[in-house]
Amino acid sequence: MTVILGRLCEGFLLNFKLFSLTLLFALPLGLIIAFGSMSRFKPLAWLIKVFVWIIRGTPLMLQLLVIFLGPGLMGMGNPWPDGSNGRLTAATVAFVINYACYFSEIYRGGIQSVPKGQYEAGEVLGMTKSQIFFKVTLLQVVKRILPPIGNEVITLVKDTSLARIISCKEIIMMANEYTSKGLIWPLFSSGLFFLAFVGILTVLFGWLEKKLDYFK
Amino acid sequence: MPILEVNHIEKHFGATRVLNDISFSLEKGQAMSIIGSSGSGKTTLLRCLNFLEKPDGGTIAVNGNIIFDAADPATQQEKEIRAKRLHFGLVFQNFNLFPQYTALQNVTLARELLAKERGGESKKEIEEEGRMLLAQMGLSDRASHYPHQLSGGQQQRVAIARALAMHPDILCFDEPTSALDPELTGEVLRVIRELAEQKTTMIIVTHEMAFARDVADQIIFMDGGVIVEQGDPHQVIEHPREERTRQFLARYSEN
Repeated sequence: MTVILGRLCEGFLLNFKLFSLTLLFALPLGLIIAFGSMSRFKPLAWLIKVFVWIIRGTPLMLQLLVIFLGPGLMGMGNPWPDGSNGRLTAATVAFVINYACYFSEIYRGGIQSVPKGQYEAGEVLGMTKSQIFFKVTLLQVVKRILPPIGNEVITLVKDTSLARIISCKEIIMMANEYTSKGLIWPLFSSGLFFLAFVGILTVLFGWLEKKLDYFK
Repeated sequence: MPILEVNHIEKHFGATRVLNDISFSLEKGQAMSIIGSSGSGKTTLLRCLNFLEKPDGGTIAVNGNIIFDAADPATQQEKEIRAKRLHFGLVFQNFNLFPQYTALQNVTLARELLAKERGGESKKEIEEEGRMLLAQMGLSDRASHYPHQLSGGQQQRVAIARALAMHPDILCFDEPTSALDPELTGEVLRVIRELAEQKTTMIIVTHEMAFARDVADQIIFMDGGVIVEQGDPHQVIEHPREERTRQFLARYSEN
């Protein structure tokens, strides 16, 4: 049993790595995409909207396969290193692109929901555009987007198990190996890992929301 | 020399002419009221002065220096607009306080950012002045309150202190009491009256006719984007020369 639990931990470590790397890159990338989609240069905004539509409109599982296998099969050479690290890298790239697109829409909604009067008040007080963004609107945006971002982050935790489609040895794949030996509890246990982790994140987001409760 | 000279300002939104040949001047220490019905262009005029809208024609001069000339792109450079708009302060109809900052921080934020950039007063000096301004607004005990903890009248007074903190040459008010419950308008009007007594140069767009008459040294009545009548407040409000002014005031006293 300790051996199996050890394997499950090993598996979940991969889920955790994929989760952290995705957040690390997708959160900032999403902001860049959001600014692009709000660009006054229409072709750019249009291009980004189409891209976001494609990414949000197709299954993440398909994107994983295409990103992992596509370059090799299309004769561009396989960019991914051999072995498990290469697969994790490919999975991370797919996840980052996918989640950045979702985040970008949340950011865009948040940024556009700040009343115009806030920008104008900053402007007439002689603030620069970047001062207005960082000192006036940013915190208001963060407050507004925290609940939807929390939702996405929780979805991400569970989505990481999709990485098994390109043979990343994540926890459910590990647990599933034991079903052929007639064991069901490893599968249930893998669920507990997710539950516990999501529980921690829920508390964390609740705390953050409370921290920003001081203004309306 | 007048502190402000506005000449032949024009503004269109698409095919709609919102401001048409607006000219007036204002002496230092004087207050000017602008009255007129909704859609007459009053707010757009204030927004042009504060560079929130770009006029399509005309010039704006402060202290004899032309700071905006629609025919001269050199006067419209983004970088300089920032410095130029500091000649003006603007108090909005719906306050637009920054919700995540206390009353005092709302007053000091922009000034601190400016001082950090250009050097100048210390944070402490700015804060002291901020407290003084809040005291002048009768809000000494509200310095550490957040906007949502303040009444509309208090919020508007914080907004006035915030505008004053930048030491504008001309302070503009855009219907400062229109978003307030009637019982709260008095405290805001009182503060503006005090500013007038201290010879603050002001332009006040308002629907409070008695206030417009009492506080201002001159008054402008606007309708359909043009100045219909302009002159001494008592004359314009009590003995208007123009038929349109008469109609407006009659409609007004009915309500």
